Amino acid sequence: MNSGTVKWQRNLFIASFIVPTLLFFGVFTIYPVAQGLYYSFFDWSGMSDKKTFVGFDNFVEMFHDPIIWRAIGNDYFLVAGKIVGIMLLATFFAVALTRFGFRLAGFFRSIFFIPNVISVVVIGVLWNFIYNPQIGFLNGFLSLFTKEQVTITWLGFPGHTIWMLLPPAIWAGIGFYMILLIAAIQSIPESYYEAASIEGAGQWKQFWSITVPLTWEQIKVSILNIMMTTLNGSFVIVWIMTEGGPDNSTQVMGSYLYQMAFRQYHFGYGAAIGFIILVLSLITTIVLQRLMRHDTVEMS
Amino acid sequence: MMMKKKFAALGIAVILAAVSLAGCGSGNTNSEATNKPTNAAPAAEETKTPDAGNEPAKLTGDFEIQYFVGGYGDKWWKKVIADFQAANPDLKIKESSGPKINDQNRPRWIGGNPPDFVYIDGPVLNDRQMVEDGQLEDLTDWLKDAKNVDGDLITDILAQPAQQFDGKVYNIPLVLNSWGVFWNKALFKEKGWSEPTDFASFLAVSDKIKADGITPFIHTGKYPYYINGSILYPAIVSANNNDYTILQDMAANKVEAFESPAVLAALNKIVELRDKGFIDKASIQINHTDSQMLFLQNKDAFIPNGLWLPNEMAKDIPAGFDFGFIPSVTQEAGGKVVANTSTSTVAIAKNGKNKEAAKAFLQFIFSKAQASQWAELSGAPSNIKGDISASNAPSFVKDAAKYLTDPNTIVIPTITYNADVDKAMMDATDALTISTITPEEWVKRVTDAVKKASK
Amino acid sequence: MNIQLKHPVAKLVVSVILVLWGISVLYPLLWTLFDSLKNNEQFFMNAPWSLPELPLLWSNFSYVWSKYNFSTYFVNSLVITIGSTVLALLLSATTAYVLARYKFRGSNALFLLYISSMMVPFVLALIPLFFLMNSMGLINTKLGLIFVYTSSLLAFGIFVLVGFFKSLPKELEEAAIVDGASYYGTFFRVMLPLSQPGLITIGIVNILNIWNEYIVGTILINDPDQYTLPVEIGVMQAEMQYRTEWGPLFAALLITIVPVLIIYIIFQRQIASGITAGAVK
Repeated sequence: MNSGTVKWQRNLFIASFIVPTLLFFGVFTIYPVAQGLYYSFFDWSGMSDKKTFVGFDNFVEMFHDPIIWRAIGNDYFLVAGKIVGIMLLATFFAVALTRFGFRLAGFFRSIFFIPNVISVVVIGVLWNFIYNPQIGFLNGFLSLFTKEQVTITWLGFPGHTIWMLLPPAIWAGIGFYMILLIAAIQSIPESYYEAASIEGAGQWKQFWSITVPLTWEQIKVSILNIMMTTLNGSFVIVWIMTEGGPDNSTQVMGSYLYQMAFRQYHFGYGAAIGFIILVLSLITTIVLQRLMRHDTVEMS
Repeated sequence: MMMKKKFAALGIAVILAAVSLAGCGSGNTNSEATNKPTNAAPAAEETKTPDAGNEPAKLTGDFEIQYFVGGYGDKWWKKVIADFQAANPDLKIKESSGPKINDQNRPRWIGGNPPDFVYIDGPVLNDRQMVEDGQLEDLTDWLKDAKNVDGDLITDILAQPAQQFDGKVYNIPLVLNSWGVFWNKALFKEKGWSEPTDFASFLAVSDKIKADGITPFIHTGKYPYYINGSILYPAIVSANNNDYTILQDMAANKVEAFESPAVLAALNKIVELRDKGFIDKASIQINHTDSQMLFLQNKDAFIPNGLWLPNEMAKDIPAGFDFGFIPSVTQEAGGKVVANTSTSTVAIAKNGKNKEAAKAFLQFIFSKAQASQWAELSGAPSNIKGDISASNAPSFVKDAAKYLTDPNTIVIPTITYNADVDKAMMDATDALTISTITPEEWVKRVTDAVKKASK
Repeated sequence: MNIQLKHPVAKLVVSVILVLWGISVLYPLLWTLFDSLKNNEQFFMNAPWSLPELPLLWSNFSYVWSKYNFSTYFVNSLVITIGSTVLALLLSATTAYVLARYKFRGSNALFLLYISSMMVPFVLALIPLFFLMNSMGLINTKLGLIFVYTSSLLAFGIFVLVGFFKSLPKELEEAAIVDGASYYGTFFRVMLPLSQPGLITIGIVNILNIWNEYIVGTILINDPDQYTLPVEIGVMQAEMQYRTEWGPLFAALLITIVPVLIIYIIFQRQIASGITAGAVK
């Protein structure tokens, strides 16, 4: 009897702490997302009040759409490029600012994070000015070393323009992962390094035998995170800087989704692209987890 | 528990994603100017007060007008709405306006709660799509005998008739504009270059310009509809013996039209410009503001654009700059000039709540007095027939108006392409200007898009 | 304590790289400041890195503040940011506490639900979200935006706080219960104050995110009196296509950046621990 009341009270307490949050989440996040995915089975312009159920037609159509394949390719290019670029630099900075005893380490750490507090819109605007062929910073700088005015169209190459979106993405991403890795490195007991020094291991050796294995968990997290944010979020910088052009050469899945859903009146098709992004994110996560788990085992 | 551990790394990654993701946005914004319509310029000279005979009972209730603010600015809208308000004091007019209003109000159109009256302009709204989606009120019958506030038949005073969709009329052109090519007359005079009149003279002077160290031609590669509208489409018409129905067939998704030799001939003209090195390499990546700025700084001699250009850039025009304009440069020597018009239309929302007021507003704005007023306040010709030579409109507008009424000019009426086909043409033209495809590939690509779109 | 780099050349190289990167990070801010004091002509005629000409056009700032109504947007952003941050903290702390301390059927699944929700591309939800808010009468309201933002912040808060609550010793609660505190009393009087560092951390990170948020605000707000700062920046940038006012645009960017920069400078430690929370044991 008594224990029943206690149990009831406990359940009531749990419910009162769980249900409001869940309700909120269900109404304002789960429901709209589910609704959005549901539209992927319809032929709908996004404007009209008539929607036609077409089953998997949107997905079938995608197989014959060369642009979506290019977009997927670009997405994975950005994933790979950002993982390599960000992880190399972030690790380098993290090690340099923790292990090398710079006096200004704290200052550098603070300022390196600044791009992360700035809105992506602002970053896009800034880099557009850097790449501008006529009044841009980059060409102006290069022109200092040449006789003739340099007029490279950084965002207008016949191919590979997607490469030019890597620098802003890396520039904007580094600080975040650097902080993550710095914290990881700082949690490694100093005695490990001292012992290694006594055994005569140099900086390089210490890095590979101590730093990397002991921060592997954070490196793994960072890589997964870069992958996910890129697949879901790279469209913002793409849209601001190139709108997927020229000739779709910088299209990524997200920007193509936006283009189709909101510019070319194929909301159903856009929703189907969203579905694909979700599926690819999940698959890539599982694959990367597998790959990196293997590595962990080797390390330990 | 095992589960949990397995997901820990994933979980953290996802969370980090959340941290860095927020703060992202797309280039999609909105603006809705709430200009209190109340202070309706009492001083407005009331020549246009609706006469009682034409006007039904007093208009009341809410009336919402959506208008895109682009190159033409919003001066005319502010003025005409204020006048309309003064004429209808019991009407509560609300304005939804701004450069992003089309994106902005889109959900309301979807939601069946649109503004009553819409001005269709800007890159996002596509009248053909709106008609297909059943968003616009069928005006066919109304327009047949609708008279404006002065008692004139509206159809009588339109310079370009309304576009028909399956024989029906949904929107009425308000602005008559023309694509074409601009240059700086002052610069040409100074350098001794001759102004182009046809393709041969255009190429000849471009050679000279290039020899003088200036890039002859810049366009807006980020939005290739500028070069399509000003160069490609007129060139197609010229190559098609000045018969513009080919463009209408293209808009109707007829594959044969795209495969016509006229299209290839026109594309080859662009290739010629490209291969002679006339096209500024910067074009491909820049937007209209950047390209127009470079043109105004005399870094490039020609720019394909629309008549709104001088008004749009009014604040940045250097002293002494004098606009020269021709609707097309791709005709053979002695051939007719082809003016690809660009009209912006107005329409009434099918789900609008105050259609009475919307129709009265149509009758109000399609009056002769507005022809001059639009030309003065927006710096562009309106679609209302009317003599603007006495008005304060800028001289190039008067010149353009002359072109558009000259019997020797081929005037292409407004044509709206299917959105997918339009995008395919823009992408392909861009690719053509940077040599990644051939004209034949252009045709192939676009016809593929046509076939897909008409499925 | 740290081991010094032994080789002086190596040290020099590393220093140079650090300084260069530092410049690449700081210079754009400085550049934004310079550009906010220029007029259009200077943008086109002078080198991109040139200093603004005298007199400095500080008027660009007052122009933006009054003509573009930035004072209103500033207040809107403030209200919405604070409102959603507080509400999100409350909702995520309660759920996180229960998930950390009580086992019940479905608790693991619930935890996973929150976390995995982040993998979904949010663009998809925008149109449905609009309909939803419209039918609830929350379109064009600060409250509507606060609700949506709050919902978007929950997963992050729950994840970090579950870890935080787990790290607090159980004895504290046991002591409280012995003292006769109720479940609620234990949470609000004992656990919540103890988790203050965690709450502050999440709060700051949330503030930064909401302050910069732009796409949802754009879709759900079309009344200019209700705009937030980023929404207005977007509008301004769109207007730049038809009326070039780069100086004021850069001034507006700066007005938007400076508050987060200040918050960052003050709370950078909390932000750093927010990022590392849970990731580092």
